[in-house]
Amino acid sequence: MQSIKSRLTFVSMIVLVLFMILTAIALERAVVKRALQAEEDKLQVLIYSLLAAVDRNQTGMSITVSDDRLFESSLMTIDSGLYAMLYNTNKDELWRSRSTSIRFPGVSVVALGDWQFSSQEFAQKTYFQLVFAIQWPDIKDKLQRYDVVVWREASDYFQQLDRFRQTLWAWLIVTTVLLLVLMYLVMMWSLRPLKIVGREIKAIEDRKQSGFEHSYPREITPLTENLNILLGREQYRQQRYRNAMDDLAHSLKTPLAVLSGISDAEKSSRIDMATLREQVDRMNQIVSYQLQKASNIAGLQISKPIDLTQIIKKILAAMEKVYRDKSVQVESSLPPTIMLRMDESDCLEVIGNLLDNAFKYCRGKVVIVVDRGDNEEIQLTIEDDGQGLRQQQVEKILNRGTRLDETSEGQGIGLAVVADIVNSYKIEMAFGRSVLGGLRITLLFKQSVSVSAG
Amino acid sequence: MRAIVIEDDLVIQGQIIDRLKKEGFAVDSADNGSEGLYLLEEYPSDVAIIDLGLPELSGLEVINSIRKQGNNIPILILTARGRWQDKVQGLDAGADDYLVKPFHHEEMMARIRVLIRRASGWSDSRIVCSPVILDTSSQRTYVDERELNLTAFEYKVLEYLMLHAGEVISKTVLTEHLYDDEADNDSNVIEVFIRRLRQKLDPDESLQPIETLRGRGYRFNLARVEQT
Repeated sequence: MQSIKSRLTFVSMIVLVLFMILTAIALERAVVKRALQAEEDKLQVLIYSLLAAVDRNQTGMSITVSDDRLFESSLMTIDSGLYAMLYNTNKDELWRSRSTSIRFPGVSVVALGDWQFSSQEFAQKTYFQLVFAIQWPDIKDKLQRYDVVVWREASDYFQQLDRFRQTLWAWLIVTTVLLLVLMYLVMMWSLRPLKIVGREIKAIEDRKQSGFEHSYPREITPLTENLNILLGREQYRQQRYRNAMDDLAHSLKTPLAVLSGISDAEKSSRIDMATLREQVDRMNQIVSYQLQKASNIAGLQISKPIDLTQIIKKILAAMEKVYRDKSVQVESSLPPTIMLRMDESDCLEVIGNLLDNAFKYCRGKVVIVVDRGDNEEIQLTIEDDGQGLRQQQVEKILNRGTRLDETSEGQGIGLAVVADIVNSYKIEMAFGRSVLGGLRITLLFKQSVSVSAG
Repeated sequence: MRAIVIEDDLVIQGQIIDRLKKEGFAVDSADNGSEGLYLLEEYPSDVAIIDLGLPELSGLEVINSIRKQGNNIPILILTARGRWQDKVQGLDAGADDYLVKPFHHEEMMARIRVLIRRASGWSDSRIVCSPVILDTSSQRTYVDERELNLTAFEYKVLEYLMLHAGEVISKTVLTEHLYDDEADNDSNVIEVFIRRLRQKLDPDESLQPIETLRGRGYRFNLARVEQT
């Protein structure tokens, strides 16, 4: 059962049918109980009317029912289905109604004043029987016991009950079918947005559209919105990969042309070796830069927050190891935690490259300050006491990894990669002259990147 | 000096070993993490060059477990990925420096020399035990501004003794750190080199730079002078 529709249909059908069956059983039970009670009540009323017609007989020693005081015509009509009898203590029949043509079986023992209602099979017919025991004084004022018994044929009752059952089940079946149809329609209506999602995904796959365009119910909107963000990121990333591949291929062509020139030359000299090395370096630089660029993906919405302070501390520990000989004095002012919505490896890359440059080019002092500004903005400043950079040099570096200093590894690439990452996160980067004499780099993390302290 | 090279790319491994041997190192090598870890545990060396992406045990695991055993050998990691995440991970695990592939062998040698010096407590490339000066970057030796003409092996012996100036170095340790496995490591040869070094460093026997401690080894006795 893979589809939601068939699951819902199956479950609701079972639940509905079960509900209907249970309802029918409960209803029927209540009705049967009520009908039996009604039968008993009717027979009781009959016994009261019989008692009203009771009189002493001629001897005065016993009682009888005077027919002319009976108002129930069914008791006067032969085989009407309603029969009454009066028995004395010895269970001798003292009186029977005119309707009685058959001989009914004797009565069981009932306590005085008790009503005993039962249904009995007799001569292939079902009857309701009500027995009531009374005491009546004889002429000598001696109390004698008598049993009043009424019988009533139950066929009417069963016919009525059958009719009731038929009507009940017919209505329940009709209602169940109607409800099932209605539920199916409601389900189709509720699941329609999912069907549209499927159609839109197909259209996205077929490149007919770039994201979800339909307006969806509240429950599905978060899904489609997040998918749209994901799709946007994916498209952005693909574009970056494509650009990086394109840039890579193009920028490798020049050094390859030089190398090809060398291999074509008739004999290689020492100068050729130097050129070879220079071109290999250049290719290495191009490959590293483009590789880094391709892997930097901005993750503004989905990245889980990271702690800038922890990252700076981690990098500082690494720097102090690598630049131990230089014994750089580090002055840092860092809040205990600064949460940023940024990919951890991107943040490590930015801070790593900036601190690496600061340690590499400083004379002996590096200053790092992190401040939380207005509007939840975060400002990171890294300063050193080295020679600093001129505006022209900054522009040259930012222009795709040009190296200023061939002897120091990857300086140009580092800053160009940093510029690339901060651009993709819309972080502002500014270069200036530090009061220490060297370079001052300021990063301004906007509200979209920073995570509120509270 | 003895170095351990753990690198699974045999071409790069061969190039590193060739360069180290050319610089006078005795070299042990492994092409997977577990064999590398065994070498590190069993053979005392002066420096280890470890690639991060190794089969069986990764470079990080090798560094982690060797550091857990309290082994402080200087470690230079080689990584193909230049991202800071990898560098920081390696340094965090206990490495002392990193090199991103591809690299120049000069740069590798410079970093290895720095690591070895640092491990012996020297921060400058000039090792000075007045009046003897050993310039590790140019591999030249001076006594009172007078340059000595040392053979490659004599230089290696002197460098080792001066790096560990003030410590007693047994003949076994000297042979272990200066000879390759396959080389003839007869300890008599060491005595010959020590004698020659003494003659060159101290022709008039006024300095007595290398003291022989009978049954224990040698000690470079001139006081360390730290450059500022």
